[in-house]
Amino acid sequence: MKDEPFYEPLEEVEPGHTFLDSTELTLNMGPQHPSTHGVLRVVLKLDGEKVNGLECIIGYLHRGIEKIAENRTWVQFGPFVDRFDYTAAVSNSLGYCLAVEKLLQVEVPKRGQYLRVILTELCRLASHQLWLGTHVLDIGAVTPLFYAFRDRETILNIFEGYCGARLTNHAFRIGGCRWDAYEGFSQEVTKVCNDLMPKIDEYADLITGNRIWKQRTKGVGRISGEDCIAYAITGPVLRGSGVRWDVRKAQPYCSYGDFEFDIPIGAAGDTFDRYLVRLEEMRQSIRIIRQALEGLPEGPVIARVPKVIKPPAGEAYCAIEAPKGELGYFVVSDGTAQPYRVRVRPPSFINLQALEKMAKGGLVADVVAIIGTLDIVLGEVDR
Amino acid sequence: MIQSFLSYLHSNVTPGEAGSLPWVVIYVLLVFLGISVGVIFMNWFERKVMAHMQVRLGPMRVGPMGLLQPVADAIKLLLKEDLAPTGADKLVFWFAPIWVVMTAFCSFIVVPFGRTHAITDMNIGVLFMLGVSSLGVLGVIMAGWASNSAYPLLGSLRSGAQMVSYEIAMGMSVISAIMMTSMATGTGTLSMIGIVQAQLQQHRWFVFSFFPLGLIAMGVFSIAMVAETNRAPFDLPEAESELVAGFMTEYSGFRWSLFFLAEYTAMFGVSSIATTLWLGGWLRPFPNLLAGPNWELAFSLVPGLSVIVLGALCLFRYTRMPRIREMRPEAVGLAVFGAMLGLLGLVQLLPGVRERVQDIFWFTLKVFFFMYLYVWYRTTFPRYRFDQLMKIGWKVLLPISIGVVIATALIAVRQELFALVWR
Amino acid sequence: MKVGELLKKIFLVDLFKGLAVTFRHQHPEHVVTEQYPLERPKIAPRFRGMPRLLKNPDGSDRCTACGACVLACPEDLIKVGSVRDEKTKKKVLTTFDFDLGRCLFCGLCEEACPPECLDFTTEFEMGLYSREGTVLNRQQLEDGVQRKEFKK
Repeated sequence: MKDEPFYEPLEEVEPGHTFLDSTELTLNMGPQHPSTHGVLRVVLKLDGEKVNGLECIIGYLHRGIEKIAENRTWVQFGPFVDRFDYTAAVSNSLGYCLAVEKLLQVEVPKRGQYLRVILTELCRLASHQLWLGTHVLDIGAVTPLFYAFRDRETILNIFEGYCGARLTNHAFRIGGCRWDAYEGFSQEVTKVCNDLMPKIDEYADLITGNRIWKQRTKGVGRISGEDCIAYAITGPVLRGSGVRWDVRKAQPYCSYGDFEFDIPIGAAGDTFDRYLVRLEEMRQSIRIIRQALEGLPEGPVIARVPKVIKPPAGEAYCAIEAPKGELGYFVVSDGTAQPYRVRVRPPSFINLQALEKMAKGGLVADVVAIIGTLDIVLGEVDR
Repeated sequence: MIQSFLSYLHSNVTPGEAGSLPWVVIYVLLVFLGISVGVIFMNWFERKVMAHMQVRLGPMRVGPMGLLQPVADAIKLLLKEDLAPTGADKLVFWFAPIWVVMTAFCSFIVVPFGRTHAITDMNIGVLFMLGVSSLGVLGVIMAGWASNSAYPLLGSLRSGAQMVSYEIAMGMSVISAIMMTSMATGTGTLSMIGIVQAQLQQHRWFVFSFFPLGLIAMGVFSIAMVAETNRAPFDLPEAESELVAGFMTEYSGFRWSLFFLAEYTAMFGVSSIATTLWLGGWLRPFPNLLAGPNWELAFSLVPGLSVIVLGALCLFRYTRMPRIREMRPEAVGLAVFGAMLGLLGLVQLLPGVRERVQDIFWFTLKVFFFMYLYVWYRTTFPRYRFDQLMKIGWKVLLPISIGVVIATALIAVRQELFALVWR
Repeated sequence: MKVGELLKKIFLVDLFKGLAVTFRHQHPEHVVTEQYPLERPKIAPRFRGMPRLLKNPDGSDRCTACGACVLACPEDLIKVGSVRDEKTKKKVLTTFDFDLGRCLFCGLCEEACPPECLDFTTEFEMGLYSREGTVLNRQQLEDGVQRKEFKK
C-alpha cells in the first residue's frame, strides 16, 4: 500500500510570519513505549512542548477474535471472550453470557447471579488496582504500583481458587456459573474486602494529597460532559465529567438492583476527578461484595441449558458496566450451534476518541497522563 | 627523603597545606577509591532500600543478600558493545562522559573527611566545589548535542536548564551558611575545614543556629541538590515513561556507566557540601558538651562497634539461612562477609586507628543520611512536569533562599551591634 | 485559603505523610516476594495446569475414547485414536495426542469428559527448550510430570 502521509506536510512560510516562528514537530510515540499501555501508536504534532494535535494508530494487536467467533460454537467461544480486556476477564465473560442468555431467554438462578456479582465486582477491584498502579507509575511515582499489585494478588488468588486461572478466567458459562463457591470462599472474600478498605485510604495519603500529584493531574485532560456524550464515552471518564450514568443503575442486570451502592460523580472532568471517581468506585465495589456475600441464597448456580446450545435465530444486545466503561455484546444467531456474528462494543476503543480532545493544548508530558487516565487496554481496542 | 615522607604523619594539616606531594597523590587515590566503592555501595543500597519500601526484596541471588549485584552489573556493562550513533560527533561523543566524571571527582579535592583527611584545604573551598560542579552542565549538553538525535538533544537542554536554575538557589543558601561562620570570630571563611571549625567554635551545628533559618536553608539546599543531580522528583529529563532516557539515550556500556558514576559522585559531592555546611562535617555529636578523655574514648569506639554489630548481623542471618545445597555458596559468602566485617571492626578498635577513623566515620554517616533521603524521595514522589519544575526553581526556592540570606544578615548584624553596644 | 491549609502547604505536610507511608512499609513483615525456586506458590485445587489422563484405581483405563473432549475443544488440538474391541464391542483407547502448544487451558475438555478422566492438575512448570515436546502423547499424559528431585 502506498505510504500516504497522514499529517499535513510542512507548508512554506506564510505571509505575515517570519522564519523565526517555530515549525511544527511531528513526534512518534511508537507502538513500543513504556506508557501507552499496550501497542498504541500516537503521532503527536508539537509546537515546542505544546500539543497541537495528535492521531492514534491502532490495530497492532488485532487478532480477529470476532471473526474467530463465527467458526466456533457458542460454548467454545467462551474462553476467547476473556482475551478482549485481559485485565478484567470476568466482566467480558459476564457480558457474553448475559447476551447469549438473552437470546436463549434463560433465567440464571439467584445464587448464580449473586455469585456472578461477587466475582465481577472483585474483577472491578482488580482492574482498578492495575489502573492505579500503572497510571501512577507513568506520572512518576514508582511505589504504588507494587502496593496495588500486592492487593491485586489476593484477588487473583481468589479467582484461582474459584475457577482455576488467574488472568483469563473463563469463569462463567452460558446459563450460570459452572462451579459453586469453594470452601473458604466467603472467608477469603471477606478478608480481601476488610484488608482493602484501609489500603484505599492509604493511597489517599500517598497519592491523593500529594501536591506533586495534584499539580500533575488537576486541570489536565479536561473534557466536558456534553463532549463525553457526543463521543459516546462511558465509564469513569463519563462520570468524572459529571454525568450520572452507570449501566448498573440505569439498566440493572444480573440482580444489581438488589444492592445498595452509590455512583461517584466528578465535577471538573479532569484527570484528578477521574482518579477520585475510580477510587470511590473501589469502595462501592467492596460495599456491593459485602452485601452480596451476606445475602447469598441457597440453590443451584446454573440453569438447565441444553448441552449443545442452539439459540433461536435472532439478535440480542446486552451491555454491562465493565471497569473500563460500557461493554456491550451484540450477538446474532441464525439458529445453528455457531454464532452468525458477535460484535463487541469495547469501551476502550470508544474512549480513545477523547484522547485528541483532551490532549490538545496541553504539554507532551500530559499526553502520558491522559492515556493513563482513560484506562485503555489494547486488547479491547484492537480485538 | 623517607624521613620527610613520614614526617607528614605527625602534622595536623592536610597534605595540600603541608606541601607534601607524595601524600597528596596517596590521598587522591584513597579518595578516588573510596568514592568508587561508595558509588558501588550506593547502587546496592538504593536497590535494596527501594525494594523494601516497595514490599519486595531486591537483589538476593547474586552474592549474599545481593551484595555482589553491582559487581555483576559492572562486568555486564564493561562487556557491552560500544555503540555510537551514525553522524554523531565522535570527539565530543567520546569526551562528554569523561568531562562529567572529571568535574564530579574534581570537586572532591576540598571535601574534608576529617581535620587532616582532605586532599587540600583551599581558602575558597565552597566556591571551588560549587564552581566545579557547575562545569558538569557542559558535559550534559555536550552529550545531548553529540548524539545527533532529537530526544537526547531535548533531554540534555532540559537537563541543563534545570541544573543551572537550581544552582542559584543552592548558592544563595550556601551564602547564608557562610555568613553564620563569621558569628564567633568576626571573620567568615569559605574554606570547608574552616566552616566545620567555626561550627565547633560556636558549639552548634549551623542547621540549628538562628532557628529556623538554618533549617530552612538546609531544606532549600536539600531540594535544590536533588534537582541539581537530576533525581526524583525532578528527573523528567531522565524519565523513562516520558519520551526516552534523556541525554544518556545513545550511550551504552562503559560510557553509560561513566555517566552513572558521575551522577552518583555528584550526589555525594553535594551531600558533602550539605553535611559540611549544616551538619557539622566530621564532628561527632556533642564535641563541646560532652568533652573530656572518657567521652572521647566512648565516641571513638562507636565506629568499630557499629561495624562489629553489622558483622554480627550478617553472621546471625547466616545461621538463619536454609541449609540446602543450592544455597551453600550464598551462605558461605554471607558468613565470610560477616567475618570480614567483624575483623574490620576489630581493627578499628585498635588505639592507633581509632582516632584517625572516627572523623571519617561520622562524616560518612551524615553523607549517607542524605543519600537515604535521595532514595526515599525517589521511591515516594511522582515526577514534576518541566514547567512546574522551573517554576519551583525560580519562583519558590529562589525567593525563599534570598529571604533566608537577608534574614540571616539582619540577625547577624543585630548580634554584632549588640556585641558592640553591650561591650 | 484557610490558615490550616496554608500552614500545611508551607510545611509540606502532605509530602511528609507520603514519606511516612513508604517508610512504614520497609518493615520486613510487609515483604510479599516469594523467592521462587526455594519457595513454591500454593496452588488451588481447581487450578488448570498440565493435563493428565487419570486411570481407575485398579490400573485399567478410564478413558472410553468417546471423543467428547475432541468436540469440546475450541482449538481442535486433541486427537483420540481407538480400536473397537471385538468381544465387548466397546472402544479401546490407543493413542491420545494433546497439543500443549496451542492449548488455551480453558477447561472445556475437562468439563466435557464423561468418565472424568481428563483432568487439569496443579502442575505449572511446563517449560521446554524447543517446540518438540509440546505435543503430549498418551504415555506422558498418564505419567504426568516427572520431577527431578535434587537431593543433597
